[in-house]
Amino acid sequence: MKELKILAIIVVLVLIGYWGIEPLAHSIMHKHVEEAIKKYNLPDFKFSDLDPLPSGVKGNAEAGKETVKAFCVSCHSLKKEGINAPMPSQAAAQSFGVVPPDLSNIGGILDEKYLYNFLKNPQKATENPKFSMPALGLNDQQIMDIVAYLKSIAKKNITGEDVVKEGCVRCHSIKYQKISAVSPADTMKKYLGKVPPDLSVIYKAKGEEYLDAFINKPQAIIPGTGMPRVGLSQEAQEKALAYLDEISDPHKEQRQKVGLLVLAYLAVMVGLTFAWKKKIWKNIH
Amino acid sequence: MADNKMSRRDFLLYAMGGWAAVGAVGVLYAMYKTWEPLPEVKAQATTKFDLSKVKPGELKVVSWRGKPVFVLRKTSDMEKCDNRTIAGEYTVVLGICTHLGCIPNWEADKKIWHCPCHGGEYNACGVNIFGPPPRPLDIPPFKLEGKTIVIGEEGPEYKKLIGQG
Amino acid sequence: MEKKGGFMNWLDRRLAVDALWRIMMSEYYLPKNINFLWSFGVLTMLVFAILVVSGIFLLMYYKPDAELAFDSVNKTIMMDVAFGWVFRHTHAVAASIMFLVLFIHIARGMYYGSYKAPREVVWITGFLLFVLMSATAFTGYLLPWGQMSYWAAQTITTLFEKIPFIGPDLVIWIRGNYIVADATLTRFFALHVVFLPLLLIVVTAVHLYAVRIVGSNNEDGIPMTKEEKKVKGIPFWPVFMAKEYFVMSVFLLFFFYLVFFNYSFAMDPINFQPADYLQTPPHIYPEWYFLAFYEVLRGFFFSQNLGLIAFVASMFIILFMPWLDTSPIVSGKRRPLYKIAFWIFIADFLFLTILGKLPPTGLYAWLGFVGSIVFFLFFIALPIISKIEKSQVERTGR
Repeated sequence: MKELKILAIIVVLVLIGYWGIEPLAHSIMHKHVEEAIKKYNLPDFKFSDLDPLPSGVKGNAEAGKETVKAFCVSCHSLKKEGINAPMPSQAAAQSFGVVPPDLSNIGGILDEKYLYNFLKNPQKATENPKFSMPALGLNDQQIMDIVAYLKSIAKKNITGEDVVKEGCVRCHSIKYQKISAVSPADTMKKYLGKVPPDLSVIYKAKGEEYLDAFINKPQAIIPGTGMPRVGLSQEAQEKALAYLDEISDPHKEQRQKVGLLVLAYLAVMVGLTFAWKKKIWKNIH
Repeated sequence: MADNKMSRRDFLLYAMGGWAAVGAVGVLYAMYKTWEPLPEVKAQATTKFDLSKVKPGELKVVSWRGKPVFVLRKTSDMEKCDNRTIAGEYTVVLGICTHLGCIPNWEADKKIWHCPCHGGEYNACGVNIFGPPPRPLDIPPFKLEGKTIVIGEEGPEYKKLIGQG
Repeated sequence: MEKKGGFMNWLDRRLAVDALWRIMMSEYYLPKNINFLWSFGVLTMLVFAILVVSGIFLLMYYKPDAELAFDSVNKTIMMDVAFGWVFRHTHAVAASIMFLVLFIHIARGMYYGSYKAPREVVWITGFLLFVLMSATAFTGYLLPWGQMSYWAAQTITTLFEKIPFIGPDLVIWIRGNYIVADATLTRFFALHVVFLPLLLIVVTAVHLYAVRIVGSNNEDGIPMTKEEKKVKGIPFWPVFMAKEYFVMSVFLLFFFYLVFFNYSFAMDPINFQPADYLQTPPHIYPEWYFLAFYEVLRGFFFSQNLGLIAFVASMFIILFMPWLDTSPIVSGKRRPLYKIAFWIFIADFLFLTILGKLPPTGLYAWLGFVGSIVFFLFFIALPIISKIEKSQVERTGR
């Protein structure tokens, strides 16, 4: 039938156009992202570029507690143990660029291997040469003790919201959730080069694949970015992304439900109008 | 011509029109919903206020749904009115004159509310004692949580007061 | 005619509604040899109605202020207003689909020679509608105040800089600032929601009226005589509309599938980042419906001035089709040479559209140049094809 032939031509042309402006254009424009993902096999939760955990060294949480008290709390708070930050956050931000994180739950969101490497050499682990925290010169035993301790006190069953609040909100605001960054914008601008973007709808702007790779290894996606590698464990990162997805698109479920309803409604309408057209046009041809 | 085929009793035409009407109702419903107050407005539907912050004899004005609510902690020299007293010693009323909707002023020396618009007066219970107001100041729905009052929600104390009134 | 009640009779004596109804609807006869491509005119009306209605509801929460615009769209409308997201998705997708429908509507007119005498006024008003719709889409695209909105407006307004003598001052005047800023947003807002839609409605009325006077074209391009009309023609109302309902339903099914399940082509991810006048996103491009013209602009990559002239020409040359193509044969169906040119043109337009989104470097730049040349070759070929056909008609005597 002639009309179907015309329709087929239109459909083919539209599909070619759609393929060109969507999948093709994106694959060409985001080439460097896809190359980086392939090159480093991102997200890489094994943190392959970092040193392996020292073999034969077993962390002792009890000993770790003492080490933390000796080395960490001169800058960090540890609210779970009732230890407050040694200086007010404004002053801390002035001296470090950002406010140092509270250590209560950090063991629950960071990967163990990453945390070990981070304590050994923060600049290398974060891949950020300007990272404020200095290497402390601890030996493997001390580091593994700290890791064991931080893991032991961290909140169990951590949610995506917790991960984002612990891991991201020190620098990033989430305006639509009424969450402002812990560190003041002006000191961060000096420290990082720009004010980190708001995360309210970042999931829509960047998409899952990009964020999954970028959070895991920022320098691979944007060389020279101020964002440090934070070393979220696989579980923590998945939860964080699910949370960012949810807040950026709170009506997803409703949209799918209403969408199916509307399509079903229109399918019936197509049937009715087709029958009507047949009836009216019966005697015309 | 097709005209004679379109008898008024045509089932198909009615089915199509009826189905279109269903769609129109759906669209109108979505439009209707867009005019409802936004979540942040709805969040203001109730206001919490700590009654113990009011000193004896003092009047505080609390904003509830954009309207003033007078919270007066009464002293012994003021009028008594069991059916309008909340938590033993407080008058909590909507600060809107029942005459024409102006906001009356508290005159501490006379211990009355005086409406600037038409001179209506209410005593410390919020009962109209002079002028055009047709009835006492309204008591907003409330709930007591210890010494905290939640304005905008109907608690048992509110229902009791209204029942007495 | 059935007998009218008292009120209709009363109204008819004062407004001649009967006559109007007959001219516009019930005695507007269409030929039978038309296919569903002739339904796309009504589809543009449908999409326009959808745009107006969804736009009105967006307007109730949108804030045309550089500080507030982004959040009013992405927070208030998309998250807080009940069903606000439906209206925004619908508006964005409808804006995009409007151009798909328009392109098909225009291509149908080109293929079957609907621009030819005596339908020049239909063609001119139709062209005006296309330009006005483009302006509406362009001004509307700035309103969400995202990165893509901002930089699209920034680059397109910069084009005016090339106009001799007044260019640089004109750009500042259009923006109301040295860069695209709050003043630009608010004036674009005014144009988008009041001025341009009003013009669109007026020109649409003329367009529809004009087509009632000269009658619809058909596949063969041979008009019906007055006598044939009543015997062979089908009245627009109710018979042709019965087919329209079906086409509209199928179209709406497709349209709402996009609104609910595949909307990202109309809502660019980059636009979910707020406008930042200090940072251009790595890739900027117009919405898909401007890509072909944009590619003509970039096609002459070796000369900015030439590119700009070509860009303007590419949008306006189509207006002159009735005078470029003077062949006595109307429908492309019976013009083998024209048919070939037409399909090359369609393929080229598609090619330019796809190329318009790719980075303009290396091979792509040259392909863009070739594509742009082919675009204009079509219009240069029209008088030549006309001449050949004219002599053929004279020889064979039809």
